[in-house]
Amino acid sequence: MPKVKNWQLARDIEYPYDESRPKKQWAIVFDLNKCIACQTCTLACKTTWTSGKGQEYMFWNNVETKPWGGYPLAWDLRILEKLGRQDWSANGEYLGKTLIEAAPPTERVLHFAPTDEDWMYPNVGEDDSGGLPSLDGGAHMASLPHDQWFFYLPRTCAHCTYPACLAACPRKAIYKREEDGVVLIDQERCKGYGECVRACPYKKSMYNPYTRTSEKCIGCYPAVEEGIQPQCVVNCIGKIRVMGFINPPWKARKDNPVDYLVHEKQIALPYYPQLGLEPNIYYIPPLNADREYLKQMFGPNVEGALQRYRELSSDPVAQGLLCLMGSSDKIINRFEVKEGRATGFDRDDKEIVTVPVTEEIFVRDAFDEKLEVVRHNTP
Amino acid sequence: MNRTHQTLLGLLFVGCFGCRNGGEEAAGPLPVEPLTDLVVEKVAEDLSKPDPDAAFWGKVRAGWVTLAAQPFITPRPEATTTDRVTVQAAHDGKHIALRLRWKDSEISHAGRLGEFSDAVAMQFPLKGGAEPPSVMMGAAGNPVHIFHWRAQYQRDAIEGKPEMTALYPNAQVDMYPMDFKDAKGGTQEQKEKFSPGMAVGNPQSYPKNGVDEIVAEGFSTSAVQEGHGSAGLGVWRDGEWTVVLVRSLTPEGGSNLAPGTKSHVGFAVWQGGKAEVGSRKSVTMQWTPVTVQ
Ligand code: SF4
Ligand code: SF4
Ligand code: SF4
Repeated sequence: MPKVKNWQLARDIEYPYDESRPKKQWAIVFDLNKCIACQTCTLACKTTWTSGKGQEYMFWNNVETKPWGGYPLAWDLRILEKLGRQDWSANGEYLGKTLIEAAPPTERVLHFAPTDEDWMYPNVGEDDSGGLPSLDGGAHMASLPHDQWFFYLPRTCAHCTYPACLAACPRKAIYKREEDGVVLIDQERCKGYGECVRACPYKKSMYNPYTRTSEKCIGCYPAVEEGIQPQCVVNCIGKIRVMGFINPPWKARKDNPVDYLVHEKQIALPYYPQLGLEPNIYYIPPLNADREYLKQMFGPNVEGALQRYRELSSDPVAQGLLCLMGSSDKIINRFEVKEGRATGFDRDDKEIVTVPVTEEIFVRDAFDEKLEVVRHNTP
Repeated sequence: MNRTHQTLLGLLFVGCFGCRNGGEEAAGPLPVEPLTDLVVEKVAEDLSKPDPDAAFWGKVRAGWVTLAAQPFITPRPEATTTDRVTVQAAHDGKHIALRLRWKDSEISHAGRLGEFSDAVAMQFPLKGGAEPPSVMMGAAGNPVHIFHWRAQYQRDAIEGKPEMTALYPNAQVDMYPMDFKDAKGGTQEQKEKFSPGMAVGNPQSYPKNGVDEIVAEGFSTSAVQEGHGSAGLGVWRDGEWTVVLVRSLTPEGGSNLAPGTKSHVGFAVWQGGKAEVGSRKSVTMQWTPVTVQ
């Protein structure tokens, strides 16, 4: 089997096809400290793409509460359990096996197959906290660090560099686009074998029982082709997301928003990188969740990422970029922060948007002389 | 759901064939020998409609072929689920019918998520000649002609392609795009735009007539073809499927089995209840020679 480079694991991995990185790679960064689980992203995707027959249960974008939530049920625990304990070296190299390396001889990818019932509770575990159960009446929030914690995890397809769905399809009906790295299921060739549904560890390939083909997040490619960010990004209420194109670390550009957060600042991390697919959705981990749990989910660089995130208050460039998140529907190819203002530029290097890094404060008297009215302090 | 379908199918079969002599009587003598050579005799019957319980099958020679878990490409089954298919064949001058029987402890039609269908397929070399192509679904430039029956496709043919409300009777849906309860909705074409497989014309998404005709040049290459009037009908009784597949002897552009011809045949079986689909199947590992008399 060919060996391919996986920078997230700092080593070469086995993959059934040769390494061929796309010209550009679609990616989203999420700041988990800001997600409020409003599910606007979920509904934005749903109303745009999955309102048809057979798609009733589908949420190409979903938001689940960790640690108890999971759509489908316990998707992550079940694949981690199958893979078993694996380790990282002290310098960040992955010593364990990926899902393809751990596959038995009869399979292409180590997997579990979700059942019908597993998809039926998309919001299970919502707002349930982890940590030590308190039997004597309620959660104890008075001591630090908190025993009780939870966080929201919004998820789309990760348009992986080494997609398990693509590797598993015996009909070669799944392809990764050269121009933007978006992974698509060819709806003409798919016969609904569901091998991708079994193989994708993130469970982002879904079977449509009405069309009898499998479907998945299409990365909103029609918008992306026009230089516009996906529906689940532009509709995000919490402005926690930015979509762009990520370069591998050896080609990273400091003025590219995604490269900046992932490679330059190293505050955004891939999720479950140990599964070996080089997934391309990246998360700024939540500050107030169990560290061991976060390490399991985001790998060994969690502590450093959180440390650097805490220090952002003294970094006007990073602050500027975080302010640009959610400030435009256009894809920001380059950004710049100068004199307290952050500006995003499109692929033609035309200015898209400029925002202040610190919002100006306006002081307004309660009584408006001009209109002769008293105003409440609400906008 | 499955139970409803079983009953429904059961009733239909009783309706269609109940008037005949029961299947047990017609099942024919037990095969005693492995099938080394499939000799297809002409019978004085109309074979255009498949009928697994037709009395004449009792007089047609039967033999069995050995199957094994598909070993060549992944994903593949860990163990063989179907190790033997009993084969009978006859022709009427225009059509050839193959009657195939194998053990399957549960009936599976697929439909809901994570469900797969029982199925059987037979393949013939598309081109004539003494040397058949690879038994593993042909080879580049040397295709095979496949007839693929699924219990799921048969249900389409008999009951129509199931609506979501048939697959999930307890599900609630407010509305579908272009589909309104008390106002004029969109055209069928407009509605299908919301079903990707249908919108691009994937035959998998449209109602099936029971059997898919497929041409393949090796694994991963199979493509459904416009049918040449092939048909299939199966009954599941007492842990055994009996399926009759009917095809033209001389389909245009297809594999030629005109009387006097020698060809080859191979088989594959899927047990839906064991999550078999696609490359997860049991197959014959060698061709069986066919002589059409
Ligand atoms: S819209 Fe944004 S804030 Fe709301 S749930 Fe989705 S990711 Fe979180
Ligand atoms: S997240 Fe899953 S469906 Fe998406 S590209 Fe990766 S393996 Fe495929
Ligand atoms: S990128 Fe588009 S298709 Fe994918 S989850 Fe977001 S809205 Fe849905």
